[in-house]
Amino acid sequence: MTRKIAIYGKGGIGKSTTQQNTAAALAYFFGKKVLIHGCDPKADCTRLILGGKPQETVLDTIREYGEEALTVDRVVKTGFGGIKCVESGGPEPGVGCAGRGVITAINLMEEFGAYSDDLDFVFFDVLGDVVCGGFAMPVREGKAQEIYIVASGEMMALYAANNICRGMIKYAEQSGVRLGGIICNSRNVDGEKELMTEFCAKIGTQMLHYIPRDNIVQKAEFNRQTVTQFDPECNQAQEYKELARKIIENDMFVIPRPMSMDEMENLVVKYGLLN
Amino acid sequence: MQLKEIPITGIPYDQLYIEKIPATPEYCRRPAELLPAGNRSVAVNPNRTCMPLGAMWAVLGVHGAIPFVQGAQGCTTYVRYTFCRVFKEPATIATASFHEDAAVFGGRRNLIEGIRNLVVRYWPELIGVVTTCSSEIIGDDMVSFLKMARANLRKEIGPEKADRIPIVLVNTPSFAGSHVDGYDRASRAFVETLATARDKPSGKVNIIPGLLYPGDIREIKHLLRHMDIEGIVLFDISDPLDAPLQPPVSLPYKPPGGTPLEDIRDMANSLATFALQPHAGQAGARYLERKFGVRAVVGPPPIGIQGTDAFLKTLRELTGKPIPESLLQERGRLVDSLADTFHHTMMKKVAIMGDPDVVLGVTSFILEMGMEPVALAGGTASKTFDHDVEAILAEAGYAGDPPLVVNGGDLLEFEEYLKQLPRLDLVIGNSRAVDIAKELQVPLVRVGFPIYDRFGYQKRAIVGYRGGEVLLAEIVNSILGYQYPDDRTHQL
Repeated sequence: MTRKIAIYGKGGIGKSTTQQNTAAALAYFFGKKVLIHGCDPKADCTRLILGGKPQETVLDTIREYGEEALTVDRVVKTGFGGIKCVESGGPEPGVGCAGRGVITAINLMEEFGAYSDDLDFVFFDVLGDVVCGGFAMPVREGKAQEIYIVASGEMMALYAANNICRGMIKYAEQSGVRLGGIICNSRNVDGEKELMTEFCAKIGTQMLHYIPRDNIVQKAEFNRQTVTQFDPECNQAQEYKELARKIIENDMFVIPRPMSMDEMENLVVKYGLLN
Repeated sequence: MQLKEIPITGIPYDQLYIEKIPATPEYCRRPAELLPAGNRSVAVNPNRTCMPLGAMWAVLGVHGAIPFVQGAQGCTTYVRYTFCRVFKEPATIATASFHEDAAVFGGRRNLIEGIRNLVVRYWPELIGVVTTCSSEIIGDDMVSFLKMARANLRKEIGPEKADRIPIVLVNTPSFAGSHVDGYDRASRAFVETLATARDKPSGKVNIIPGLLYPGDIREIKHLLRHMDIEGIVLFDISDPLDAPLQPPVSLPYKPPGGTPLEDIRDMANSLATFALQPHAGQAGARYLERKFGVRAVVGPPPIGIQGTDAFLKTLRELTGKPIPESLLQERGRLVDSLADTFHHTMMKKVAIMGDPDVVLGVTSFILEMGMEPVALAGGTASKTFDHDVEAILAEAGYAGDPPLVVNGGDLLEFEEYLKQLPRLDLVIGNSRAVDIAKELQVPLVRVGFPIYDRFGYQKRAIVGYRGGEVLLAEIVNSILGYQYPDDRTHQL
């Protein structure tokens, strides 16, 4: 059965990087069939997999050529490790409704059968926060069943993670979506691991994996590649392999218990990060 | 067969033509490149209406069902007004009554409270929840909201009563299609939500009529009755939208008739599903075929000789029942009428507009009368319309000038094209063509939806052989009223 996974997290936290590297590891080390659906209007969720190739997005196609011109072949591209990639795209910044764009793109992909049964994993890479109904589309009934939140040991990232949990419990009861864990994308600050562990315990989930900071990620990004493609033997590639394994074997799926603002503040004070 | 003008003495045929009043001096021709709707960013005289209307039409055709519109009040008011004008009947439609706050916070509360109020005040047999542009743009997660609404109802009136009322969700973002598409989506939503397979086939046939009038649906039932076949008509608006004026049986008022819930559930066990209007109903028929193996018979609309023939022949093939003498006689009468009037209809130039299936059905019929289609405008964009037109013309052996085909879009191109034609005898279409026909000074024969400027059209049929006679008579009489016959050459 296809596991559908939505990745959320604060903007700039490294969602797309983590998500693409994990997908590459799933494909390269475990032979999994993966599809990435980028739901960010900026359409930058798949460039590492596709080697920087600009991808025609679903909404670009509709805007330029009309809905009739849309085919799976046109918007689904295959990149490293046979990973299939599709980008929703969206309106220019400041105009239109990006949330509706996500709904339209996902509906069309379902209609065309792009999320086929032979896939092992479908990832929805969603921008920043859950800001409106459209950006919650990937966790509606019959869509993603698992959510992973990418965070680091900074206050704002945890605020965002906590907020996402608040958004998600609205859906958890109805659609059955569950939180699979927090992925810590390290910023190398003091006590980060401890803070994250405690945060995860408080909201009732696990820190699925702690990804150390390593410049090779940036180096690979300059080469428009994931770490796994750039150097599969390096330490960082092994970290993503480990994360991929944990996702495959994960069996802890919970409805999170988001913290109150006071609890959040106390936690941050305890770890001395509130400047 | 190549049609040639019949040589006549006396007043020649083309001199019977009434001189048009020349266009006013202010009139100027529109630039040709702006005529196709795709080249413009403005719609002039749209040939369609909004998607939720089609879905509400469908829900009203289910016994005791009330549509609940997840949107602002205008989305409901406009549709009720239209139904009232067209059918001269009240239509009970509930609304979530979106205001500014719903646009910001989403329509969850409106839906949950609205469903609750609707249930405790009206006790509908079924609720058809119809979404709108605004709720779709906000991104209301309707499946979840409905679960919450159900849970809320269970708490208030108890699970037994709450679970007795099925709720069918029809997603109708109007920016994604027209009223025809809305009906089509409803056809699928209803069978998907309700139809359940049993062990035994029922021997019935499903009929999804599409946006046909009460009179048409009665005529379809008449054909089925004479074929001795039991049918399930989904969505049967024939009684709810053409109800007798009688003292109410209960309060609040509930219209009589409509497709019983049990019948919809039973649709999975029928011999076949007829989507009489392929653009409005095909989705439901195809779903039943895929899911339950119930054969889908998609079109042609049973309009005219060939259309009705095809319908009856398929029924005969499915059930093994013969076409009875009574229907053969009806057919014979229509053929007789065609023969009696062909000298009025032959070679007359006709333009047809409306919903694509109405246009296609009527085109096929006017070709049987020897008329020549000069322009065909289907208001709902369709993948098959152009091809269907070609097939109908080829089937009829039509050898005249190819007609202008407008697929989707509005009526500007249609109108401007007709204005530059040297000759036009008739426009066939709905009330949206009134101004065009008036300006062109040709008669308008009203068919299809909506007809709001005449009374009684919703009660009569144009489908079947008897409906064909009604339509034929109207066409012939319109021509006669327009081109007063010269008694020497055009004796009745």
